Amino acid sequence: MTTALFYILGIILLAATLMCITRRNPVHAVIYLVAGFFALALMFYLLGAPLVAAWEVIVYAGAIMVLFLFIIMMLGLAPQEVPEGPGWQRWLPLALLSASLMACTLLLILEDPAAGQKVGGFYLAPQALGEALFGRYAMAVEMVSFQLLFATIGAYLLGRPLPKGEDQ
Amino acid sequence: MSLIDLLALLPVLILAFGGTAILMVGAWYREPRPLLAGGIATALIGAVAAGMVPPPSLEIAGLFSAGGYARFFTILWALLAAAGLMVATRYIMEKRLGAGEYVSLVLYAAAGMALLSSATHLLGLFLALETFTLAFYILIASNRRCEMAAEAGLKYLLMGAVATGFMAFGIALIYASSGTLALPDAALRMTAAAGGLQPWGLLGWGLVLIAVGFKISLAPFHLWTPDVYQGAPAPVGGLLATGSKGAVVAALVGMLSLAGPVWHDLVDLLWLLAAVTMLAGALGALGQKNLKRLLAYSSVTHMGTLLVGLLCQNTEGLAATTFYVVVYAITSLGAFAVIASLADQRGEPMAFDEWRGLGYRHPVRSAVLVLILLSLAGLPGTAGFMAKFAVFQAALQSGYLGLVLIGVFASVVSFAFYLRVAMLLFQPEAPAVQRHAGTAPEHAVVAVCTAAVLVFGLFPGILFDLIGRLLP
Repeated sequence: MTTALFYILGIILLAATLMCITRRNPVHAVIYLVAGFFALALMFYLLGAPLVAAWEVIVYAGAIMVLFLFIIMMLGLAPQEVPEGPGWQRWLPLALLSASLMACTLLLILEDPAAGQKVGGFYLAPQALGEALFGRYAMAVEMVSFQLLFATIGAYLLGRPLPKGEDQ
Repeated sequence: MSLIDLLALLPVLILAFGGTAILMVGAWYREPRPLLAGGIATALIGAVAAGMVPPPSLEIAGLFSAGGYARFFTILWALLAAAGLMVATRYIMEKRLGAGEYVSLVLYAAAGMALLSSATHLLGLFLALETFTLAFYILIASNRRCEMAAEAGLKYLLMGAVATGFMAFGIALIYASSGTLALPDAALRMTAAAGGLQPWGLLGWGLVLIAVGFKISLAPFHLWTPDVYQGAPAPVGGLLATGSKGAVVAALVGMLSLAGPVWHDLVDLLWLLAAVTMLAGALGALGQKNLKRLLAYSSVTHMGTLLVGLLCQNTEGLAATTFYVVVYAITSLGAFAVIASLADQRGEPMAFDEWRGLGYRHPVRSAVLVLILLSLAGLPGTAGFMAKFAVFQAALQSGYLGLVLIGVFASVVSFAFYLRVAMLLFQPEAPAVQRHAGTAPEHAVVAVCTAAVLVFGLFPGILFDLIGRLLP
């Protein structure tokens, strides 16, 4: 059962990602990416890491993708004109993906109604995850935080307006 | 992380936190000279700390080593950062870049390179690699008034992102087959315990190799190199050509000396990569009409030669490779320092037409440039010759006659294009325009690089003995 779910989720993930990178409309691409993140979250759950699964949904599908959408709209990248043809044709792939994701989630709930501990034979408790992150791998977390600091500096450095009287 | 870890990490902490401190100071205090001096001093202090303060433990948080080999490269990259900042001084002031940001990025990149050279864990390797590439994305594009720099930055960013994808996927496959990310085990367990998963592990190592190939521009993955070198300002190009590639090779040397058996399965692939890289670099450089693009192709050839040393899988090969990394870093930095010192308001001299007859206007720096180019080609008496000689000798002992022949052929071809530049510089009939006279820090860097090229060329034993004692 778990193995079957894993392969189904894998196919959904690959399909969603493929759709994402082939879309011309960036908003559509982001929506497909969100579907992919949901499949990934379920995979993390299958691997016995429910907290990582929750983060995948909250941080990636929630926060980061909303940020993406904001940026796309701020830069005016979303196409304005409505394409021809019936709308359901465009949304059919996403609807199928979402429906299969929903089915997978329901199957997972049926399989493991107590949420966790039984699915994969391995269970990563949130506390153990936190201890690994901020104990054994504290150095890695510090390095990533440094990277974020310098990414911010880079964004500021490359994105700030030039002094007046100078063109690009 | 304990106090012992922090003490063992001291040189990197000095670089990273020193850079951050200068960044903070630079937010309020915009005078470039003191900030640059502070940055150079921080880098030098980091180098001294790496050399003088013995680490209390040989391992840092299970991710990095603090052994002699790691410390050697920490010193080298810290000194390189100091030299890079010295070369960049005039560039920053003339282009009115933020000195605080620039200095902190260079120091941060040096910290990343030092960590990469000492990685003993694939997670540490990945993070350190991302650390300094991130700094380079920004440094390359730091001059916003130059469109070519922006293009180069974007190209490097895209290629870097692709390489990161390969790297992460490869590491995941290695983990899946060996069950660990710690470096000796990640490779050793694969052959013994992995069983049916071994092909996936090998695929993982292959993907890691592709990512490494992107970073050090091995042949099928080298196409970004000339464009990025051309667009990047020379002070950044000098760091990019030397530090970013040298640190990756140093990590490879560390990985290889730890991870014997896996590499036997990858030997054919490495052989092919080395051969194609040497030929592609040498033949690609022949048609170039721009010195920075020429240096880019030259670096491709050199990375191929380095791979030959890595292939030998014995102490001589690793020592030769390490020697080669050091010599290549010094020589290449010298070339970029000369270019940077000649830059004026018209920009850096790049196209061959701008170099024509420059030897009569600036005889000393032109002569030095010729010496550096001949060292890159491998003229006896220069450090470049000793490096190539050591690598090829180790390869011959290990039975790679074919590779040595290809390498020698590539060297002979490379003499053709290096000598062409030398002839251009001293062409009498076309007197060039006067370029910038250069500043004291620039002259100092050029002088140190030239002296090192000659000293290591005539007395290579100094460096070889040191490396022999440090190899893991």
